[in-house]
Amino acid sequence: MSKRLSIFVVVLMVLVFTMTACQPAAPAPAEKPAAEAPAAEAPAAEEPAAEAPEAKYGLFMSHMTNAFTIEMSDAVKAKAAELGVELTVYDGGQDPAKQVSQVETAVTQGISCIVIEPASVDGLVPAIENATKAGIPVVVVNQAISKPEAASSFVGVSNVEGGILEMKTAAEAIGGKGNVAFLLGPMGSDAQIGRTEGYYEVLKDYPDIKVVFEQTANWKTDEALTLVENWLQTGTQIDAIVANNDGMALGALKAVEDAQLLDKIKIYGLDATPDALAAVKDGKLAATVSQSTTAQGQTAMETCYKIVQGETVEKEILVDFTLITLDNVDQFIQ
Amino acid sequence: MSEKKTNNNLNSFKELGIFFAFIIILAVLMILSPKAFARPANLINILKQASINGILAAGMMYVIISGGIDLSVGSIVALSGVIAASFAHPGEYPLIVPILLAVLAGSVVGLINGIGVAYGNIPPFIVTLGTMTIVRGVALIAARGQPVFNVTKEFEKISGGFIFGTIPNLVVYFVVITLILAFVLTRTVFGRRVYAIGGNETAAKVSGINVEKIKLLVYTLCGFLAGIAGLLLASRIISGNPTSGQSYELDAIAAVIIGGVSMSGGSGKWYGTVIGALMIAVISNGLDILNVSSHFQLIIKGLIIIVAVLVDIKGKAKK
Repeated sequence: MSKRLSIFVVVLMVLVFTMTACQPAAPAPAEKPAAEAPAAEAPAAEEPAAEAPEAKYGLFMSHMTNAFTIEMSDAVKAKAAELGVELTVYDGGQDPAKQVSQVETAVTQGISCIVIEPASVDGLVPAIENATKAGIPVVVVNQAISKPEAASSFVGVSNVEGGILEMKTAAEAIGGKGNVAFLLGPMGSDAQIGRTEGYYEVLKDYPDIKVVFEQTANWKTDEALTLVENWLQTGTQIDAIVANNDGMALGALKAVEDAQLLDKIKIYGLDATPDALAAVKDGKLAATVSQSTTAQGQTAMETCYKIVQGETVEKEILVDFTLITLDNVDQFIQ
Repeated sequence: MSEKKTNNNLNSFKELGIFFAFIIILAVLMILSPKAFARPANLINILKQASINGILAAGMMYVIISGGIDLSVGSIVALSGVIAASFAHPGEYPLIVPILLAVLAGSVVGLINGIGVAYGNIPPFIVTLGTMTIVRGVALIAARGQPVFNVTKEFEKISGGFIFGTIPNLVVYFVVITLILAFVLTRTVFGRRVYAIGGNETAAKVSGINVEKIKLLVYTLCGFLAGIAGLLLASRIISGNPTSGQSYELDAIAAVIIGGVSMSGGSGKWYGTVIGALMIAVISNGLDILNVSSHFQLIIKGLIIIVAVLVDIKGKAKK
C-alpha cells in the first residue's frame, strides 16, 4: 500500500517536473521563430510612429524575496514612473528556467526593452541573445552574465570593488594587523567569489593580518549566528569578522554580542539593508557597504529608455559603492 | 511492519547502537579538540544549538510514527517568526501577543495539513509539500520580502535569556517540551494510538480508533511545535526572516531517522530522536570548531546519516 503510494508520488513528481521543464523549452522555441520575427521586427520598423505611446518595458528580477531585490525593483519602477513609461515586473523566483521562459514570452508578445537582473550567470545567456537577435535591447543589471556582449549594456557594480572597500575599512580599523574571520555567501555564487576575491586583494597589502576562519553561512543570519558561536568557543582571537552580506554580519553580531565581545571584535557587512543600517546607527555594526542599489536600478531603467530613444550607451556602466559608518548612516536610513 | 511483535527488542538494540555511535563521535571530537570542544561552555552551547531543531524533531517524530511526513515545518518556522517579530516592535503590543500569534499561526497550518491528510485522504507528502510552498509565500508577503527587525528587549530574552545565569532558556524549553511529549507518547492513550495507526492503520480502524482525529491532532501538534520553533528562532536572531528555516524540515527528519524511528511508521523511541538532534548539533559544532571546510562538512554529515541508518539495518539483520 505504502509502496504503491510512494511510486505514485514519484511518478507524479516526475510528471510535474517534466511538465514544468518542458513547457517553456519545448513549445516555445517551436513557435517562437515564427511569432518572434513579426512581433519583434514590426515594432522595430514602425518605431518612430508607434513607439512613443506604446513602448513597453519589462523588468525581470531573479527573485523578490529580500531587501536588495525589493529596493532594486522599487528603484526601476520609480524611474519608469518618472519617465512616464509602462513597466511590467516579472519575478523569476530564483529559478533560471522560469526566468528564461518569462523573457521568451515577453519577447513573443512584443516588448520594447528588457531590464534584467539575471537569476543565473550562464543560464540566461541564450534567452538574452534571442531577445537581442529579435531587435529588443537588453540591459543587464547588478549581476553580470558570462557573455556580456550578448546584452546591450550592463549596469552594476563590481563585486571585487565592494569586497575591497569592505576589507580595506576593516583592515585599517584593526590597525593593519591581527586575526580576521570571513563569512562567505553560497560557495560558487558570483557575489561570493567576487567579494571574497576583493578581501584577498586587500590582504596582499597587509601581511600581518591572518585569516583564522573562512566558512560559508549561505547568506543566512541563523547559520552565521551558529557558526560564529562555534568559532568563539575555540577561544581563537578574532579582531574582525568580515561578511559577504549584511544578513550574515547581523548573525555574527548577535553571537559576538551574546559573548560580550563587541568591544573586541569589529563586524563588517555589505549590502546596506535596513536592519544593518539600524545596527550601524546603534554603533554595533562597524560598517556596511552600499552597492547603491537604487542608483543601479535607476541607471538601468534610464539606460533602457535611452536605447529605445535611439541614443547610444556605454557597454558597461559601473555605479560606485558607498561606505556607510556611524558618521554618515543617517542619510541612508529611509 | 510484519515483525511488529519483535519491535520492542529491535528498538532497544537500535537505539543502543545509535547511543554508541553518538558516544564514539563525542569521544573522537573530544580527543581532536580537547581545549575547545570538550569545554563545559561549549557543551552548553551545543545543547542550545540543538534546541530549535530538537523541538521540530519532536513534532516530526509524532508525524513519522503515525506513518506520515511533514515537509512544511521549515516554512512554518519562517512564517511564525515573521509574525512574531512584526508584533514585537517596542511600544506596540505586550509580549504575549507575538508569542500567541506565532504559535497560533503554526497550529493553523498544522491543522490544515491534518485536515488534508485525515479527511482529504491526500498523501502527507503532497499536502505538506503544498503547504510548504504556500506558507513560504505567505511569509514572504507578510514580511514584504525582507527581514522584520527592531524587536523589544523582552522579546530577545525569550531565547536569549538564561536560567541560573548559565543555562540558556532555549535548553530549558527543549528539555521541558521533550519531557512532556515523551510522557504523552509513552504514557497516554493518545500516544499509543499514534503508534497504532502508524503500525497498521486498518487494524487501528477496526479496533475502533478514530484514525482521522488522531492524524488531525498529530499534524496540528507538529505545526504548533514548529510555531514555537519559529518564535524561538526569531527571538534568537532578533528578527523575523522570511527566508529562514529553509531545509529545517530535512534536519528534523534527519534527527528522527538517526534516532531510529522507522520511516514506515509505527515504531521508534522518543530518546532516539533526542540523540538524533544532539548528534546533528554535535557534528556541526565539532566540524566548525575544527575549521573543516563547508564543502567537506556536507559530505561528512551525509555519510553520518547513512551510517546511522546502516547501523540500524545491521542491527535488524543480527536479530
